[in-house]
Amino acid sequence: MTGRPVGWDRSGAWTAVAVAVAALLCGLAGWSYAGAAGDGTRAYAEARDDALAAGRAHVARLSSVDAARPDAVRAGWLDATTGDLHTRLKGTDPRKGTGGASTRATVTDAALTALNDRAGTAGLIATVSVTTTPAGGRPGGTDRKRLEAALARTGDGWKVTALTAVPVAGP
Amino acid sequence: MKGADRVRIPLPAPRHPATGDDAAPASAAVPDAPPASDAPSGRRRTSRPRTAVALVLVLALLGCGAGLLVRAQQLTGAPALHNRALTDTEATSRVVDEVGGALARVFSYGPGDTATTRQAARRLLAGRAARQYEALFGQVGQRAAQQRLTLTTHVVRAGVTRLDDRGAQLLVFLDQVAQRAGKPATTVAAQLSVTAELHEGRWRIVDIRSR
Repeated sequence: MTGRPVGWDRSGAWTAVAVAVAALLCGLAGWSYAGAAGDGTRAYAEARDDALAAGRAHVARLSSVDAARPDAVRAGWLDATTGDLHTRLKGTDPRKGTGGASTRATVTDAALTALNDRAGTAGLIATVSVTTTPAGGRPGGTDRKRLEAALARTGDGWKVTALTAVPVAGP
Repeated sequence: MKGADRVRIPLPAPRHPATGDDAAPASAAVPDAPPASDAPSGRRRTSRPRTAVALVLVLALLGCGAGLLVRAQQLTGAPALHNRALTDTEATSRVVDEVGGALARVFSYGPGDTATTRQAARRLLAGRAARQYEALFGQVGQRAAQQRLTLTTHVVRAGVTRLDDRGAQLLVFLDQVAQRAGKPATTVAAQLSVTAELHEGRWRIVDIRSR
């Protein structure tokens, strides 16, 4: 009978130690998780990857025209843009100035030149290869362009606010 | 931290003896009923459910801890974090400066200094880029001398797409001004996708692709 309280105490102590150790481990894991989840660098890196991926897709879309489907083209352009550019594109006819030709653009490379995660703005440069098909004709020559775009984050992801060619400076 | 509160539940029980319910060992079998713990006859019977509760608690805590660790590992190992382009501002501007400077250097020459340009290229280029450059420069060097051609290259825009401890990937827009003796200068655009490697603390260009 005398051995029983000792055994009880010992097993109770072991139980206490086991629970305490488990609680400590769980606490450490929670601390490590909190550190990882609150890592601003990760959020910034993910914003960078999102902006670049969205920018690439939008620039390709904004450089392409399907003369047979002007309304669908404009809808695509409006979906890819926001701000000033969006407003300007609302009233335009995608076929204007193309002479009825269709163009198909592929982004051959793109990079972000700036990213302000807090303000939700980014700058992007891209090289584009554009194949033009005249009205009723066969795909013609391929043109290479270098473009610069400004992006802004919206509730629906990153959108283009400005898109211009990077001109060659005079000699 | 949720577990910290729950830990207390089974622990104080052995040290806070019950108000004696030794006459009813059946109630002692209920895990949440510590009253019988001090009763000699109830001890052995209570210790088992108590241990069971503790075991469940330990397992729950370990499970929760393991889950949090796995999630934390996923977050810190996120692919986006391996790429330090723009996230490491200093390293990003350094690679842009060094690679941009190297491109401007190796693609700028006058009729009299093709040799020094070639020497600089041996220092700044390696791998496939160096082989391409040697093949190209064999012709260019002669032409520069014959036509008294001066080429000056400026970086117009540059962006880093990938950057880690060993390598970087950039997109660079260049303007190249060509001046032949007695003729007006002409400027052409060049766009290059560049791969660079860190070699002895300096960025060296190992591949150049025209876009």
